[in-house]
Amino acid sequence: MRVPTRRALAKQQTRAKVLAAARRLFSEEGYEGATIRDIAAAAGMSTGAVFANFSDKSDLFREIMLADMADLAETMREAALRGRNVDDALLKAFAAGYAFYKTQLPLARAAFSISWSPDQGQELRSMPPVQALHDLINEQLVLGVERGELSQEAEVKLRTQMLFDCYLANYPEAIFLGWSIDALQAKAKDQIRVILAGARRG
Amino acid sequence: MSVRQSQKEATRKRVLDAARDLFESRGYEETTVREIARVAEVSVGSVFTTFSSKGDILSQVMADRLDALYAELDRVVPHLRGSTADRLASMFAIHYAFETRRTKLFLAHIAAAFDWTLEANSRPFGRNAHLMQVVRDCLAEGLVRGDVDPATDLDIIVDALMASYAWTYRLAAWNGSDAEAMSAVFDRHIRLICQGFAPR
Repeated sequence: MRVPTRRALAKQQTRAKVLAAARRLFSEEGYEGATIRDIAAAAGMSTGAVFANFSDKSDLFREIMLADMADLAETMREAALRGRNVDDALLKAFAAGYAFYKTQLPLARAAFSISWSPDQGQELRSMPPVQALHDLINEQLVLGVERGELSQEAEVKLRTQMLFDCYLANYPEAIFLGWSIDALQAKAKDQIRVILAGARRG
Repeated sequence: MSVRQSQKEATRKRVLDAARDLFESRGYEETTVREIARVAEVSVGSVFTTFSSKGDILSQVMADRLDALYAELDRVVPHLRGSTADRLASMFAIHYAFETRRTKLFLAHIAAAFDWTLEANSRPFGRNAHLMQVVRDCLAEGLVRGDVDPATDLDIIVDALMASYAWTYRLAAWNGSDAEAMSAVFDRHIRLICQGFAPR
């Protein structure tokens, strides 16, 4: 293993400090409300030092999302492994996702707001970890077909998209209406059942 | 109506017209309240006597547009024929067609549903009680006509349809898809959901 130089270490620490401050401010002020100047002040450095490490605010947000989504995808994948059947695996994955974000809903809210902007939204959606979430649902459906729980004509691609839509569509309830994990899980369970219903008939 | 009230109403309308055009041509984020006031030919101060924020203006612009959309939908619904899936497809196609007349405005409306500074009385996207009721009524009629299984929980179906409907807008946001393209995708979602509640 190559030992990082002192300079590289210092740079890494600076980045970590800026990211921690940015995460806090995005959570407190929202994406639009948090300025680079405020983030720099919270990290105890100059705006110049922030710009030496990140090209702009969207770059900062992308870094944070990338790290979170990678953790999220991993958490959901592990949860799906414990599923007894296709419905259960999907439900466990979704519930793990809601639990993951329950403690950082303001950040999720900022991410959703950004996801609807034409340029940044596309970028967010094409991130490898977001793709991984999509693939996770897809794999579970394929396994369901292989195990004979779903019919061969299950339209896996379309159903994957719809399940992903439902998973995302429940966030506003969590964010705005303060739904508990149990309530979200109950709703997701119904949604999964409805979307898979047509695929259970031979 | 007193002179003062009618002046206030006139200001309100001018501000909403100006805001609607600016949000659509430039985008919501890029438009300032000052610019809205300039185009509406009123003072910034008088904008703020009627509206509390830019988000509030957007919410009012959308509320007026939605009223027009639902007037249209309520006229059309009684004339719909065919299966429950066909009727649902027509109802949502009307939405996509209406909303893509001003795509940028509509996407700003969706993004604003996640905005920090949203007013308590605003009507954010995705929680539209009127649309949910119309969809539910359509499914209930399907129960009576016999192409919806009596064991179906209608509210869950409404919910699944609303989720798919809302997220299909990402095609407009990211790919610039038009109403026809979105309706084509969503028709497949509708048919798939309807398969699930068809009577055995």
